Amino acid sequence: MALDNVQAVDLAQLPVPQLNQLRSQFEEEQQMLTQSLSQLKGVQSRFVESQESVLKLSKKKVGKDILVPLTSSMYVPGQLADNEKVLIDIGTGYHVKMSVDDAKGYFERITEYITKKMEVVQKNLIEKDKLRQVTTEILQLKIQAQQQQQSAQQQ
Amino acid sequence: MAAAQVQPQHQELVKKLQTEREQLQILTKEFQKFVSTRQQFDAQLNENELVLSEFKRLKKNSEVYKLVGPVLVKQEVPEAISTVKKRITFIKGELERCDKNITDSEGKQTKCRETLIKVQQELQEKMQAQQPPATK
Repeated sequence: MALDNVQAVDLAQLPVPQLNQLRSQFEEEQQMLTQSLSQLKGVQSRFVESQESVLKLSKKKVGKDILVPLTSSMYVPGQLADNEKVLIDIGTGYHVKMSVDDAKGYFERITEYITKKMEVVQKNLIEKDKLRQVTTEILQLKIQAQQQQQSAQQQ
Repeated sequence: MAAAQVQPQHQELVKKLQTEREQLQILTKEFQKFVSTRQQFDAQLNENELVLSEFKRLKKNSEVYKLVGPVLVKQEVPEAISTVKKRITFIKGELERCDKNITDSEGKQTKCRETLIKVQQELQEKMQAQQPPATK
């Protein structure tokens, strides 16, 4: 990616304004990564909830009275028709009818997939934080050096 | 500082500066659009690949339904698999196009910035050349 040849530049060689710009860029990227991380967590908890719902449903007996939501504010009384098969939305408009055990497996796999992605984002976040810290340190050193130079010139 | 005299030949440079700045703004906006389109395609590709891997795990007699508007329509598993595969190929092609657009846009932006800096320097030199009496 284009980023690779940019990072070959030695941070210590950069002038103050560019270091400042880099630092704010790192902070921005950190914010975006943190946001992504929390979004992934939210999605993952929804999948965990779905898995729990499926398990709870499978424990109920067929014919049990249920209230079926037709809209977000209207429910209709009904009866549980099947507690062994469920329709799972797997993305891009496709739904698959699977047994409760298969559904459980599906949710476990998806949760695992999300956990892996979150780990990658987390690693990125830590790296960005290190880069930001180093940039800030070098920036402070340079500013100090500049100030000392200025006060030496004024004498 | 004495009021900077903007001579006629400077007017041209100032106008050129303005045009280049506007051009850079347009290029930057275009670039951001390309990047966000690419992100969308990336997300779609991921989603479709997940669906494909789920299809591959399905047992022979599984039932697959496709959501068409408000209706769930039953689909044959091989048909669903080929549809998703075709979509994945299409998205990959679009992603390549997007990447090319992004690289082109980056190149154009760099050139525009370089021109901008050159024009700015030219203008500065011209204006400084007129001011030596003030600094002496």
